[in-house]
Amino acid sequence: MENNNAQTVDKLESQSSPPTGIQVILREFKKDKLAMFSLIGVILLIVTVMVLAVVIDQAKIMNIQLLERFTEPGVRGYILGADEAGRDMFGQLIIGAKNSILIAIAITILANFVGIALGIIMGYYGGFIDNFFMRIIDFFITLPTLMIIIVVITIIPSYGIMDLILIIAAFQWMSTARLVRSKALSEARRDYISASKTMGTSDFAIMFKGLLPNLSSLLIVEVTLSFAGNVGIETGLSFLGFGLPPSTPSLGTLVSYAMNPIILSSKWWIWLPASLLILIMMLGINYVGQALRRAADAKQRLG
Amino acid sequence: MSTNTNELLEIRNLRTSFRIKDTYYPAVDNVSLTLRKNEILAIVGESGCGKSTLATSIVGLHNSINTKVEGEILYNNQNLVNLTDTQFNKLRGNDIGFIFQDPLSALNPLMRIGEQIEEGLVYHTKLNKTQRENRVLELLDQVGIPNVQRVAKQFPHQLSGGMRQRVMIAIALSGKPAIIIADEPTTALDVTIQAQILDLLKTLQDEIQSGIILITHDLGVVAEVADRVAVMYAGEVIEEASVVELFRNPKHPYTRSLLKSIPQTNSENEQLEVIQGMVPSLVKLPRQGCRFSSRIPWIPQSAHEENPELHEVAPGHLVRCTCWKEFHFEDEEGSVNQ
Repeated sequence: MENNNAQTVDKLESQSSPPTGIQVILREFKKDKLAMFSLIGVILLIVTVMVLAVVIDQAKIMNIQLLERFTEPGVRGYILGADEAGRDMFGQLIIGAKNSILIAIAITILANFVGIALGIIMGYYGGFIDNFFMRIIDFFITLPTLMIIIVVITIIPSYGIMDLILIIAAFQWMSTARLVRSKALSEARRDYISASKTMGTSDFAIMFKGLLPNLSSLLIVEVTLSFAGNVGIETGLSFLGFGLPPSTPSLGTLVSYAMNPIILSSKWWIWLPASLLILIMMLGINYVGQALRRAADAKQRLG
Repeated sequence: MSTNTNELLEIRNLRTSFRIKDTYYPAVDNVSLTLRKNEILAIVGESGCGKSTLATSIVGLHNSINTKVEGEILYNNQNLVNLTDTQFNKLRGNDIGFIFQDPLSALNPLMRIGEQIEEGLVYHTKLNKTQRENRVLELLDQVGIPNVQRVAKQFPHQLSGGMRQRVMIAIALSGKPAIIIADEPTTALDVTIQAQILDLLKTLQDEIQSGIILITHDLGVVAEVADRVAVMYAGEVIEEASVVELFRNPKHPYTRSLLKSIPQTNSENEQLEVIQGMVPSLVKLPRQGCRFSSRIPWIPQSAHEENPELHEVAPGHLVRCTCWKEFHFEDEEGSVNQ
């Protein structure tokens, strides 16, 4: 009997307690079919690309085979045809997508790590520290980011993937820092932060154990959307010829083949798949980001 | 009245000033108070009189950018005013516990109850994980929370107001502090829960023998639990006495007006007594003369002291200014000498 009662209480409890964290996000995705579809699509896409990239032999694909020049899709095992130098487009697409995604992830992690840490420190301490870093951020934001990245890349004699990641990340942390700072500024003046102080908790622990989780709704959205942005920046730079060196395929370099008018007009299989992949991925990530944003705001929630 | 050995906390000439447009205005002005062991010292006064500022000054919660704390707060031969954050962190939570007014906003919404109570134990004790967990359950049990196992795993929004305040008390008690500062602990609660929380505070105090500074604007609460009372007005202590003395024999016009404005169920007069005027703002507050004079304009200026000081009118009973001698309520005729 006693046991029975306890069970009923537990049952009622689980029904009556409001959904938290992950549950809210899940409900939002269940309500929004497009976001659910995008989420599954984006995850599938990334996983497929990563798995195939491991299987595919990059050296073999990048071999120049003049006999296979401009092979059309579907001919002789070339699923998406071959380019000017007879290299398999499908293989290039997979490796390019892998490179682009990995670079975007690395930039996102690096830039957001710096942005979030700095934003929380600024918001928590306020005063001089806040002013000092805000002026630096203001300065960075007035700079034409893309131009500077291009100039830096031109100056550096030889650069690889790591350099590219660092350079782009160096210009991407400001907006996150500003956003986090504004939220942290209001959140850090709340009573529970003072209460934590009266327990003798150190500033560091308060900032990253107490304050950070309370900004998580904002951060999830910010990180997701900035990931989409970073894919765009990397492909854009590569397209302009300032991203990855031509020997390393990325979605941007593949699209940049379209700068050749002949390829643009008659060899669609060289540039269209990469363009479509970028479009689909960006759209998908943005739909996911939108759903997360709604989940973070009780007024906009659908579920 | 008591020997020095019983003194836990001694506040001497404390002045906490806020910066408003490059000028510092004291919100707590020259306050001296003593807290003894196993005593509940109530600090009462209306909104804006500096009660909470005083409390937050003791635990060093003020932002040094726009606040200046001067004077001495002596605890264990240390002046708390001069401590660095690192030094203070050793005291806070361990020697001094703080109970906030609104338990909902003072609990981290994304941390489980158990974790929040554990926080102080992590910093101040050498207990291991299981010992800490047991202590958390013990504390929750001590503050009268049923089904401790479950509550420890819940989030603050899943508890009722009274339960949350009990959790706050459990957090404050976790380090068995010598001093507990309770900043209006019952204001956010309804009356029945208030009584329970006050009873709880009193019982727990008997157990751990700590001194409590109870900040409140509710004289009913004061009468119920306090041993000694300090009445604050506009940043100054204007009267200090034992609770019996204060309620039987209030001297200062402000204290008397406060006592008169408590709603009474048995009074025939349906109009609630009010003190006319408002507490002057921090910027406009007259820094000289009796600060209460503007709210009792029918008392001649000559009755006030030029620089009002605390006078001992009876053993342990301090009153600021001399205006109480000539004070009478506006609707009364002539002076009533007490």
